[in-house]
Amino acid sequence: MAGAYTYIGRSTPREDASRVVTGTVQFIDDIALPGLLHGRVLRSPHAHALVKAVDKTKAEALVGVEAVLAWEDVPDWKGGMTNSTRVLDRKVRFVGDAVAIVAATTRKTAAEALDLIDVEYEILPGVFTLDDALDPGAPQLYEDYPGNVVTPGVPGWGPESLKDLVTGDVDGGFREADVVAEGVFGCENIPNPMPPETPGAIGLWEEPNKITVWVSDQAFYKHKGYLRRIVGSGFDIKTIGVPCGGSYGSKNMSWQLQLHAVLLSKATGRPVKLVLSKEEQLAAFTLRPSSRMHVKVGLKRDGTVTALSGRWLVETGHYSQTTQAQVAVGLGEAQLAIRCANWDLHPAIVCTNRNASGMVRGFGGQELKCSLTPILSLAMEKAGLDPFEFFKKNYVKPGDGYFWRNGKWYVYRGVDYAAAMDEGAKRFGWAEKWKGWLNPSEVSGTKRRGVGVCVHGNADIGEDPSEAYVRLDPDGTATIHSALVEHGTGQKTNIVKMVAEVLQLPLDRVSQLPTDSSNSPFERGPGGSRGTYATGSAVIAAAEDARHKLLESAAHALGADPADLDTDSGMVFRKNEPSERISWEAAVGRRTCIGYGRFEEDFTLANCMMTFVEVEVDTETGHVTLIEVVNTTDVGQIIDPPGLEGQMNGCLGSGGIDSALFEETVLDSSTGRMLDSNMVDYRWRTFFELPSVHNVVLETPFASHRFGAVGVGEVATAPGPAAALMAASNAIGVWLDGYPATPQRVLRALGNVAPGRTGGGAT
Amino acid sequence: MRSLTHLNARSVGEACALLDEYGRRARLNAGGTDLLSVLKRGFLPDRPEAIVNLKTIPGLAYVAADEDSLRIGALTTLVTLAKSEVVNEEFKVLAEAARSVGTPQIRNAATIGGNLCQDVRCWYYRYPHKLGGAMDCLRKGHGGCLAIKGDNRYHCIMNGKGCFAVCPSDTAVALAALDARIKLAAPDGERSIRVADFFGPLRNALDANEMVTEIEIPRTARPSTQTFLKYTTRKPVDFAIASVASVVWKEGERCIDARIALGAVSPGPVRATTAEALLLGRRVDEESAVEAAEEALAGARPLSMNEYKVHVARVLVKRALLEEAD
Repeated sequence: MAGAYTYIGRSTPREDASRVVTGTVQFIDDIALPGLLHGRVLRSPHAHALVKAVDKTKAEALVGVEAVLAWEDVPDWKGGMTNSTRVLDRKVRFVGDAVAIVAATTRKTAAEALDLIDVEYEILPGVFTLDDALDPGAPQLYEDYPGNVVTPGVPGWGPESLKDLVTGDVDGGFREADVVAEGVFGCENIPNPMPPETPGAIGLWEEPNKITVWVSDQAFYKHKGYLRRIVGSGFDIKTIGVPCGGSYGSKNMSWQLQLHAVLLSKATGRPVKLVLSKEEQLAAFTLRPSSRMHVKVGLKRDGTVTALSGRWLVETGHYSQTTQAQVAVGLGEAQLAIRCANWDLHPAIVCTNRNASGMVRGFGGQELKCSLTPILSLAMEKAGLDPFEFFKKNYVKPGDGYFWRNGKWYVYRGVDYAAAMDEGAKRFGWAEKWKGWLNPSEVSGTKRRGVGVCVHGNADIGEDPSEAYVRLDPDGTATIHSALVEHGTGQKTNIVKMVAEVLQLPLDRVSQLPTDSSNSPFERGPGGSRGTYATGSAVIAAAEDARHKLLESAAHALGADPADLDTDSGMVFRKNEPSERISWEAAVGRRTCIGYGRFEEDFTLANCMMTFVEVEVDTETGHVTLIEVVNTTDVGQIIDPPGLEGQMNGCLGSGGIDSALFEETVLDSSTGRMLDSNMVDYRWRTFFELPSVHNVVLETPFASHRFGAVGVGEVATAPGPAAALMAASNAIGVWLDGYPATPQRVLRALGNVAPGRTGGGAT
Repeated sequence: MRSLTHLNARSVGEACALLDEYGRRARLNAGGTDLLSVLKRGFLPDRPEAIVNLKTIPGLAYVAADEDSLRIGALTTLVTLAKSEVVNEEFKVLAEAARSVGTPQIRNAATIGGNLCQDVRCWYYRYPHKLGGAMDCLRKGHGGCLAIKGDNRYHCIMNGKGCFAVCPSDTAVALAALDARIKLAAPDGERSIRVADFFGPLRNALDANEMVTEIEIPRTARPSTQTFLKYTTRKPVDFAIASVASVVWKEGERCIDARIALGAVSPGPVRATTAEALLLGRRVDEESAVEAAEEALAGARPLSMNEYKVHVARVLVKRALLEEAD
């Protein structure tokens, strides 16, 4: 509903549109600095080993090589949650782990130097599966993590940060239940979010203690904090935000490559750029966590969930940076989607000798949903419940409460999403297509269609504080000081629209300062769909404050009451005499008006995405084709229609719906090597095979945002995979036993292929 | 990438002479769509010292029909085959196989000779050097086949020996069903071999100083029914999990001759000769197609994770004979 607004809700060009399409955006790899060197990483051939000796002599002798560093050459800097992972370690924990780093005058020379480094290893046995890692006799990855179980909890979220979900009386709950279902289900294909731009950083060390890092991530300001926690106080750290070619959360885990660049810069006295190859991105950078649940759930025939208990195992690979946080948010999101008074759910995060998992949109809750939904489905089937009605009944309603990530209890005060769900169901034709559990919606020869649905929402739309300044110059322009970087969603243009709307200034008179931690106030950056509500509210408040100061100054000069004044197009006027207008300059003279805005963390609102999926399965070949997707939500107020459409269409990739159909990482079970670390073998959807995607968006205003808006970008991938697997199971009439629905898995479920190993999936 | 000598060959003779000079230390480059990724991933035990560019050889890109045969020059691009009128009319399986490869950009650059000579896709064999070092295997001259005990979902279900990587070429499957021959040139002359004989478990039939110059397909007076089916995870940019090319001649409703070739199941395309024989004199219907499909895969010996390929290939044979879509 753009009706009431000049810019909000209207399609306007993105401020970077022409630079993107003409190829003039300076992404990290485009940045050239005087004296810039190129870094590369020597990667371990072993999944688990001790580095006994590193002979750098030959590499150092190569012309053009400026520095070669191994673990003994670098300070004891440690990252990850509980700071257990060293920037370069004497122990390597996955095939591809960093053993040494090189800086050279060209990328090619740096690559050649890697081959000249001789390393002696003491090979240790590795663990590659949850079960092996938890075995009492298993090799241990870290002294800090006995039994390979990562220390639970997120210190930054306080002592009560959510580590498990224990409330009510589950025994009583199960006694009340009409049906109880129990099962084990895994989502263990660890897809890669695979943003188009590979991860990278530029590091600059300046004596005696100044660290500057050019950051390619959806957020750059927070990296300053991450780095400070790793290197300790006593350093002058600056981060510079660079336009980011996609992250989907993953580039949050960039500390190690950033510090590799910094250490190489320290060793050479020159700036060092380190950009990963596609192979490295696939085999040595952020994956989704792997997840498996053994749970028991009790339901009443009316769809009430009476109890949910069990264990949730999350495999994080060789270390965790955010997995504890993903578990906490996942537990919170479980409560948003499933109203239940009695919980007893115990997670454990497990380390294995593979590439690390971490932050990816869906952030724990998606992985939880993928594991939990099939078991919930068994209970729904027993109770004869329609999953759409079940999710609609159980999604959080105003007045319902939940424990959020910090362990505190919040009462939801947002809109009721039932109307959006009904609208989506109508658009999809759910009532016509749903034929009951394990029944296809349509059969034509060997082709069977099936439908599925799931829901997801996140109360992180108000996570963390945000701050911004808005500066009004007498020439009738506004400048936003915000540490918000463009990462592909158009959010940077959205805050321009918000400021332009508040000030009634044309969009081209609102600009933004370069993104640099030394000129911006605190900003956590996008994540958890917080851009619209959290960042947006801070920027709006700053614009309102600046406007207020402008009108106060003008009132003083004009001898008027500020309440009687208004402004648009850089002019000030009396509300009752709008035709008599004077410029800001005339009104306030040589004065800039600086407004400040702050958003305080707020977990009492949640967004919601319900996704309906229809697939077609060829029962002879086991091939699953995605036919139709309907996403439905209520965003309160659309800020930018095409931007929102793009976010919702993002439900397929970045480890979304396609992770239920074919996306998977294939690890060799004996060596721990990732076998599909290229864009041919790692199957991802191309534009030739897009299904029909419809997005239903309601606009019921959220009173606490000036424009009534909340964000939904982060959750767009989350409900789809569970819905897609449900759809495939319904199509073939047999429960599929894991993700993704490969022909092996489908044909085995249909009894066409004998049971056996299928790889990648649950057991 | 270390430096390579890049040599432009001006004739087949010169290309073969260069191969002779460098032994196996030179690689031929036609479209480069496979070779460049092979070199960039750096998984070969002996890095080539020279690249012999074939695109500078004039007159090696052609589709020429005479009375007895269709001759295709080795440098003919896949897009040319996909669009060729005579190929689409008489050798439809080849046009369809060419069309099924990669993407438009790849088909614009890739050649039929290169498609036949491309290296296997085995993910152990192609494991990249920069991620902890390439992996040794029998195909590289050291050790055994890593896929036997590893993840072999895409590997051979028949005829594997020492190496269980499948032939990745789609056009080879069509050419096997068309009974084509491949002409090979060496410094001391030429020879011609059947397509199916070109492929082996560890390498193809090319000697160190030989190159493919031409593909020859016999023409038949009587029109045939041809179907090419390729089963992949996704449509574009994907290699076959299994594929089938069928060429069937009928008199009335009876089959008087049939050729069925299976792809991506073995180190080379496999002619299902007993299945072909089973169809002779019979109506091609559901019953005979199912029987032929059973027969075509009767010799399959799947590995630990690829039994599904046997099932899929069987379905493809049946569907190809019944001229159904995949």
